[in-house]
Amino acid sequence: MRLLVVEDDRDLNRQLVKALTQAGYAVDAAFDGEEGQFLGETEPYDAVILDLGLPKIDGASVLESWREAGRAMPVLVLTARDAWSDKVKSFDAGADDYVTKPFHIEEILARLRALVRRASGHASSDLVCGPVRVDTRSGRVLVNGEAVRLTSHEYRLMSYLMHHVGRIISRTELVEHLYDQDFDRDSNTIEVFVGRLRKKLGIDVIKTIRGLGYVLEPPTPPAA
Amino acid sequence: MIRRFSIARLSIGSRLFVSATLCSLIILFGAGFVLSTIYRRATERSFDERLQVYVQSVAANVATKNTANAIDPYGLGDPRFTLPLSGWYWQVRTEGRLTPEVLSSLSLFGGRLPRLDSLNIPAHDGSAREGFIIGPDERRLRLVERALELPDGSRYLVQIAGNADEVELAIMSFRNALWTSFGLLALALGLTTIFQVRFGLLPLSRLSNEIGAIRRGTSDRIGGSFPDDISPVADEINLLLDVNRDILARARTQVGNLAHALKTPLSVLINEASETDTPLSDKVLEQTSLMRDQVNWHLDRARAAARAGAIGVVTDIAPAVAGLERTFLKIFSYKQLAIASALEPDLKFRGEKQDLEEMLGNLVDNACKWARTEVFIQALAFTDPDGRPFIIFEISDDGPGLPAEKRAEVVKRGERLDETVPGTGLGLSIVADLAKLYGGDLALEKAEKGGLKAILRLPAV
Repeated sequence: MRLLVVEDDRDLNRQLVKALTQAGYAVDAAFDGEEGQFLGETEPYDAVILDLGLPKIDGASVLESWREAGRAMPVLVLTARDAWSDKVKSFDAGADDYVTKPFHIEEILARLRALVRRASGHASSDLVCGPVRVDTRSGRVLVNGEAVRLTSHEYRLMSYLMHHVGRIISRTELVEHLYDQDFDRDSNTIEVFVGRLRKKLGIDVIKTIRGLGYVLEPPTPPAA
Repeated sequence: MIRRFSIARLSIGSRLFVSATLCSLIILFGAGFVLSTIYRRATERSFDERLQVYVQSVAANVATKNTANAIDPYGLGDPRFTLPLSGWYWQVRTEGRLTPEVLSSLSLFGGRLPRLDSLNIPAHDGSAREGFIIGPDERRLRLVERALELPDGSRYLVQIAGNADEVELAIMSFRNALWTSFGLLALALGLTTIFQVRFGLLPLSRLSNEIGAIRRGTSDRIGGSFPDDISPVADEINLLLDVNRDILARARTQVGNLAHALKTPLSVLINEASETDTPLSDKVLEQTSLMRDQVNWHLDRARAAARAGAIGVVTDIAPAVAGLERTFLKIFSYKQLAIASALEPDLKFRGEKQDLEEMLGNLVDNACKWARTEVFIQALAFTDPDGRPFIIFEISDDGPGLPAEKRAEVVKRGERLDETVPGTGLGLSIVADLAKLYGGDLALEKAEKGGLKAILRLPAV
């Protein structure tokens, strides 16, 4: 899952990026409206955390321009203004959720999980695919009830696949959604990660579709 | 309240009317007095001239006949001198003799006319005198006399008296006509003044109507054109209204800026402290949470203060409610709530849109938090016994509701504005405070579906 944080306060931006990275997201940071607007329009993010009081271009205008350009990723708005009239304006501009400052990072994490889940059509925080279960709140992965230890990169890959069960996902898409923009992108690393993940899970849920990419599907029962 | 009468509070219309009426009454009375005096003088003079003609004719008789006895008692050609006590008399008296010889008209019936020279009436033209006397018939008479000295040295006093009633009657009828026409004139002047005052003050009363409309909130500035002498006042009022709105907008912006400026560093502190687990970070967390509550509380009060005195602002409720509905459907999309509203058409709140959204937002937010499946917003027009228009909002949910004693407590908190403890959580006290600022109120009841029903009453247009 790849996120964008647009916040002009350097400290708050750093804290958000750190906490989100620890929670298993790939995170890009922008410090003003112009940069944020550009990144949001060009990169495929799974969710955006957007401060409303931004230099250069204000947050509401950035959000509106994204929506006009057809960018539909979930956007969590951050603002100090907690009047209902401000909230109505934000939602009308296209926000999906709203957190007022000051906040605890945990609140942001919880809201983000819910936003990403809802955007991919999942109602529960537990993602299930056959014997595989991912608890997005705790970041635990279970196979047949047994915990599997994954590195953060492996978890990120697993989580993205679990959010899009049954859909063919290209390597490019995986690269775009698993790494932040500064990462040295080499699609070969994806193959390495997929290989490791298959080994750790021990069951055959990640299938390779030649020339297209990967698809996560419940394992076909062994032929009788 | 008993209003004591004072000149300073007298309306401009009354001032103009009273002063114009007083002036025209004084002028009319003065003119009437002068006119009737002139008329009296003229009437008396012409009466005297008639009497003088008789004096001359009697004197001529005496002069030619050289004796008083020679006068024909039926002479002078006027029969009234022969009718007894007719009020018209003549009398000739010889002077300078021991036994004066007196000859008089038949009408005098043996009586005598008094002498004017003995009544201290000054003579003019050498020997002529005029004056009023009471005649033998107890009537008021006009008497004209003339002393006559013939070349032979004999002297006579010729007197002619005429009935003064004739003069008085003429004067009286003149006076009647005069005062009647002056009365009508005064009435006409009064009516003219009323019309002039009304017409002249029309722009002023239009101005005061416009100001009233602004106060009632049906208009936001003074429109139309005014005469040159009061258009500066209208312009000045419009300018004041603009300045008032500007100050209000600036106060809001500053409050918002302050909020932003303080809340971001607070977020940084809270998050930095959450990362570690030391006594220092615990203290920071505790204190930042206090600071957050204080900032929020004071910002709410500051916003409320910035609201006071907004004049002539009107908000259409339908778009505000629609915006809130959209927002809450998104915020509570995970609960799959049904949020519905029924608004009486064309309701307008007399106040700022932001404040309406703040009040309704808090109430709907509260309802959505507790509701199980649905939230219903209703708005109705209402007129209080004094005829003032209100809007009644009813926001009800199907949640667990509040027990009766708790409901009263929650709303009452809004009354003790200054004692309210920061961070008591419920947005309801803010709603109650705001509603109070606008002259409305908030009440809580049990909803038909079992949950809480918030009843918000706000001034309408």
